[in-house]
Amino acid sequence: MASIGDAELGVSTFCAASHQSEKCGANGLPLTPNSIRILGRFPVLKTLSHPRLCKYVDLVREKHERLIVVTEFYKTNLAAALRTSKYSDTSCLTTLAFEILSGLAYLNSRGFIHRNLSPQNILFDTKGFVKLANYGMYYMTDSGADVSFPIGLLKYMSPEVLAQGRVRVTSIDREYATGWKETRQLSHAPSSCKTDVWSLGIMLLEAFLGSPLWPNLTLQQIIHKILAFAKSKVDPIVLILSDHHGEEKFALLPNEIQSLISTCLTLSPKQRPMPIDLLSSSVFNALKSKEIPYSNGFSMFSTNLRCQDLEIPEYVEGTEEDHAKEEDLLSERSIHEVYYLWRLAGGDLVGALTKAGLVRTRPPITKIANFTLDDGEFFGEGRDRSTLLDCTVVILSQDQLRQRLKHVEPAAFYPLLEEEKNTALHLPISPSSGDLTDTSKLPLVIKERDVEYQFHRAILYERLLKAYPYKRHHIWKEARTDIPPFVRAEIWAALLEVEGDIQGTYDAIDKETPTATDRQIEVDIPRCHQYCELLSSPEGHEKFKRVLKAWVVSHPEYVYWQGLDSLCAPFLYLNFNNEALAYACFKAFIPKYLHKLFLKDNSKVIQEYLAVFSHLIAFHDAPLSNHLNTIGFIPDLYAIPWFLTMFAHAFPLHKLFHLWDTLLLGNSSFPLCIGVAILYQLRDQLLSFGFNECILLFSDMPEIDIERCVQDSIRIFCLTPKSATYRQHAKPSKREQKDSSSKPDVSYYSKDYNHQPLTDLSMHPVPLEDLRAQKCPFISAEDLIQLGELMGSSLTKSPTKKSASGKPLIIILDIRPTEDYLRGCVPGSINIPFDTAFNSDGDFLPSPAVTKLNVHKTQVKVVVGSRDRSAIKFAESLLRLGYNRACVLYKGVDVLRPTGILTVPTPDL
Amino acid sequence: MFKTEFVYEFVVAQQQCTLRVPLSLPLQGQTIGELASRLTSMHKLPCYLQTDLLQKLKSFTEHEIRQFEDAEGEAALERLRNGVEEGALVAEWTNAYSQEVIECAKQESISNDVMFSEIYHCLIHSPALEALLNLEHTYAIAVSDVIARRDQDLLHLEQRQESEMEEAVKRLGETYTDEQINLLAQRHFENTQMIESKWASELSTLRDTQKREYRDWVMDLHEDSEEAVPKLNDSLTAEQSPRREESFTVHLGAQLKTMHNLRLVSADVLSFCRHKTHVIEGVTVPQPQRLQTAISLYSNSLCGLILLVDNRLNSYTGIKRDFAGVCEQSTDFHFPDLELQFQSMEESVMRGNEKRAQQRLTSSTEDADSLQSGASSGSERDDRALRLNPGDFYTSRHSNLSEAHVVFHLVADDSVRSLVSDISSRHPVIMGIRNVLKACFRYDVHTLTLPLLLVHEMSEEMTIPWCMKRAELVLKCVKGFMMELATYSGQGSRTVQFLVPNTLSADTFASISAMVSSIFRMSNPVIAKS
Repeated sequence: MASIGDAELGVSTFCAASHQSEKCGANGLPLTPNSIRILGRFPVLKTLSHPRLCKYVDLVREKHERLIVVTEFYKTNLAAALRTSKYSDTSCLTTLAFEILSGLAYLNSRGFIHRNLSPQNILFDTKGFVKLANYGMYYMTDSGADVSFPIGLLKYMSPEVLAQGRVRVTSIDREYATGWKETRQLSHAPSSCKTDVWSLGIMLLEAFLGSPLWPNLTLQQIIHKILAFAKSKVDPIVLILSDHHGEEKFALLPNEIQSLISTCLTLSPKQRPMPIDLLSSSVFNALKSKEIPYSNGFSMFSTNLRCQDLEIPEYVEGTEEDHAKEEDLLSERSIHEVYYLWRLAGGDLVGALTKAGLVRTRPPITKIANFTLDDGEFFGEGRDRSTLLDCTVVILSQDQLRQRLKHVEPAAFYPLLEEEKNTALHLPISPSSGDLTDTSKLPLVIKERDVEYQFHRAILYERLLKAYPYKRHHIWKEARTDIPPFVRAEIWAALLEVEGDIQGTYDAIDKETPTATDRQIEVDIPRCHQYCELLSSPEGHEKFKRVLKAWVVSHPEYVYWQGLDSLCAPFLYLNFNNEALAYACFKAFIPKYLHKLFLKDNSKVIQEYLAVFSHLIAFHDAPLSNHLNTIGFIPDLYAIPWFLTMFAHAFPLHKLFHLWDTLLLGNSSFPLCIGVAILYQLRDQLLSFGFNECILLFSDMPEIDIERCVQDSIRIFCLTPKSATYRQHAKPSKREQKDSSSKPDVSYYSKDYNHQPLTDLSMHPVPLEDLRAQKCPFISAEDLIQLGELMGSSLTKSPTKKSASGKPLIIILDIRPTEDYLRGCVPGSINIPFDTAFNSDGDFLPSPAVTKLNVHKTQVKVVVGSRDRSAIKFAESLLRLGYNRACVLYKGVDVLRPTGILTVPTPDL
Repeated sequence: MFKTEFVYEFVVAQQQCTLRVPLSLPLQGQTIGELASRLTSMHKLPCYLQTDLLQKLKSFTEHEIRQFEDAEGEAALERLRNGVEEGALVAEWTNAYSQEVIECAKQESISNDVMFSEIYHCLIHSPALEALLNLEHTYAIAVSDVIARRDQDLLHLEQRQESEMEEAVKRLGETYTDEQINLLAQRHFENTQMIESKWASELSTLRDTQKREYRDWVMDLHEDSEEAVPKLNDSLTAEQSPRREESFTVHLGAQLKTMHNLRLVSADVLSFCRHKTHVIEGVTVPQPQRLQTAISLYSNSLCGLILLVDNRLNSYTGIKRDFAGVCEQSTDFHFPDLELQFQSMEESVMRGNEKRAQQRLTSSTEDADSLQSGASSGSERDDRALRLNPGDFYTSRHSNLSEAHVVFHLVADDSVRSLVSDISSRHPVIMGIRNVLKACFRYDVHTLTLPLLLVHEMSEEMTIPWCMKRAELVLKCVKGFMMELATYSGQGSRTVQFLVPNTLSADTFASISAMVSSIFRMSNPVIAKS
């Protein structure tokens, strides 16, 4: 990403045309507001990057169809430089033409045209190089159809553009049944790149003559002038020169330049050259040889060799002067990053515009329309002058941001990444705000608004991403602290282990040919996260459909289930400009968390999932589980959309991002813990509600505190033995154990249970009916051994830094008859024989063992029995009595016999 | 978009092959790379051809598009040379620039109204607020005094005429002939008219004077706003008029939720307009609501009210007359009188009806007869041109009503009162409510009061089941509209007040209240836990 350098951040504003009435009002579907259309078309402009172009940074939609554009900006422009007669010098004039043309040629190569060329839109950076501005207006407004003002300055319009008339929307249609996609017809096709060449010709002529053309003509007269070119037999250049008495001066120019200008001003579009043709003219030979080829920086998933054009710059010993100059380290950052920080540092776009008097709107009461027809068309609305196009650009002051970052050490701009053995966190220490590790412990919402913290995080991650995939485990480690919104898209891709030629893979998928699922997709998309402006734009819908189709087409073993759209939404939102990456993340996400859930017949998988979920509820919250079971409010009634969309259907995107930041770090059982955490938050209500109220409660997901939900789910995860969430339909382990190399085996939880090699002591598939019938989870023997440290202690580091102990403490309850127990038992287990444990009411009969159980009430209770069902019954009695965290040893005590763990208990028990 | 055919020639196993693909350019929804790989897989081309195919496709599409664009440009120039549309073109472009681009637009002189509105908005948010309100209030009292005198005068006259007439009728045949009685009646009528017009002119003179004085005063006050404005120090004790009401907070939206306030109110619709006299220690002072309305008049948070009216744009009958009566209770210092506002609406209505007639013409030709009758006498045509359809609404602006700045006069026909055939969600009045809500989003009307049962008065036949059914329909529709509009029009919180006639029984009110919470699915209170 190119650095911001000396550029300013400029902000300007314009209003989209508002729809008068609904032409398709008959089907009751509202038209997409033009501002949303523009918003959807904008993001691709951010990807344009060329030394001769001002970058687009952001587009913000405000109330009443107002849009605010943030761009790279410079104070000087050609309109001012024109009058200095500097361009009567031929070399200056050729350089100007060359630089404009190379900008235009780049735009054309990416499929864009400028169509808004005028001296005001040709800026000069501090070194005097041309920077084209405002080139996105024509594209983002769909050839100007989305705005009521014309695009381009009249004087620089080519005759064919004027002759075509203004662009109008001639018809809009929207499919009734699905609400899918508005198709609209424009009165004529978009202009071609040759109109820019005409504008260039006029500007070069003005620059050369040192004064604007036709200074005293009215609008109407100028239009007549330009239209007259079309009818005249004489070349336009001749007409213009005679208007301004410039023939003699023009004749003094070298022939090459004369012909350059006059070919630019060729009347016939057919004979007028394109920018790329003009660039090959011999006038520019000298300039071309000096040009430094421009390479477009670093891309994370490039198939090209990154070191291809690498030239290691010579190291020059800096002098005192150089040191003084290099003070401004912020200018080394990319413009997008500076803007991100600028906003965090209290930057206010509307405020800046209001201060400049650009959005002085009339009070609404003074413009209300006084009559409205039954079809919604209204009359007599007062016109607000502030909705007129005003091209003024306001410079956003970076003072506040620089002030905030003043105390940051220069070294913090280039953090070192080598492994440090002693500290867990790699946060640089800044003297101004003390230790940043303090900030890292604050709530996420605060961290995300802290400029300095975000600054350090963004820089650190940016460097880590450059070293991806080599630094993958480092990224993984940092992600456990938090993920800054600025780099979330890439970090998620890294966490999902996306690699390889993603663009090639995506391109190779046929997303065009109609398939049977198209219709369902078209029904779902206009209903999916539509409060999000980007996703509700026509462009967003189009991309949505392509990514979904790509997945459906390339996974023939699966089908399109409703919910897939919600699942796709966060990836598409984050990677709006990079469908291939969105698809790659999406593709990697599904097998990790939703293995087999999109099978045509997914009932077995879902049933198993829900059964394990209800075990987990029982395990962590016995009273709630008892209550829900009593009223018959089973997970099937509410939790299916949660898991099928990984909560993407339940939460708005901004909450979902925080949830998935953590989810992506967890294994495939983590979503179950999130489910329990949500129930936790609604616990009081659920306990007091009957069946109907519960149904009503979940029919419209209540507000959930997402940060608490994340913390709860981590805690729940850490209190659950990992085999308790074993599912036979979870994704099987990868053949090669590549993981162990990339992810360090730091704790009990760092390995997904489903990825561990199977042994006799492991869990094995349990029939679905049994699973559904029992209420408490199983624990595998190997888990028991590991947790009870029956074979010596193992790693004890925790997966999160928050909890003190990294794994749950257990207490083992042996429920076999005492004589069996005395013959051999798990060391440390206590014996409560099932047959004599309970009285007729189902309560415990008091005994020393029960007292001991009550002392360790919060620990995980592993019920060890024989092969019969008594252990399950015992655990369910514990549940009924309100004991949390009861589970049953899978296959009973016999499974432990071969291990030689069983010992004869010491007599005092 | 144009159609063309791509021809690809290649050699496979020393055999010359040709592939013809119809294409429509520019490519929509796919890149050239994707197209190339699609062609490769569809036609089972060997993979070593892919690079070549991609190259060929690229140059082909570029070439075709350039040719197409050139042709378009040439065609436009050719049309111009044939001299068909130059005048229209010039006008179109001139308008485009002079009306939409600030550089080219005429400098707008700041009108007095705009200046006044800014100054007022500024003053009302300053300590001058109380002085302003009190002045307004004094003026209002003056007007209502005159009105009271007028009403009394008219009453007197009526009584006198009545007794005269009675006397005359009694002596019919004796001293009075039929003719004389007729003459008497005529004289009475003339007298009444004369008195009425005398009062009307007095009122309008008073209003004009007040308005002028008020505006001058405001301007003066602004000029020397540095000077201390006399402060008045009486404490207001709000005395709420008895209204049955219930408030709800709801969250709408599937994933992202917006909070809205709903209120169910049982009151007379005009109570939202009428100022109640408010007496503290013998002095009448303005109502607290008045203050709020004044402060928010030029803000981005307005209050609106839906008034159901018939299909004529005047204020002669029924609720319209009552409403006009409320409006003239005091001078409107900011907006023209209702009558004048109606006059400016007439123009819009005529334009609207023209447009409607055109649409009807284009959509069907069966309206030939209406055209014929339209060509009848002038006044009738005028009348037709001003006739409104159910679902239309006209909007008036007020600064002198107690709880509304904007009144949406929504045209409803008898079908909303009909008890037999029930109305559907596609009924014009319901669509009208949708359009009103749209206007509310467009013009920052954040509080809207609407008649829940679509009637202002209860009648005998309106049974409880009818009320419930109607309430359900309107609530569901309003919920739908609010969700639909919120999708595109920002996430601001709104207040909607559902108004039911105050004659509604307490039981029905309670059941409607229960319905509101079930239809809007009352938000669950967030329970703070430590």
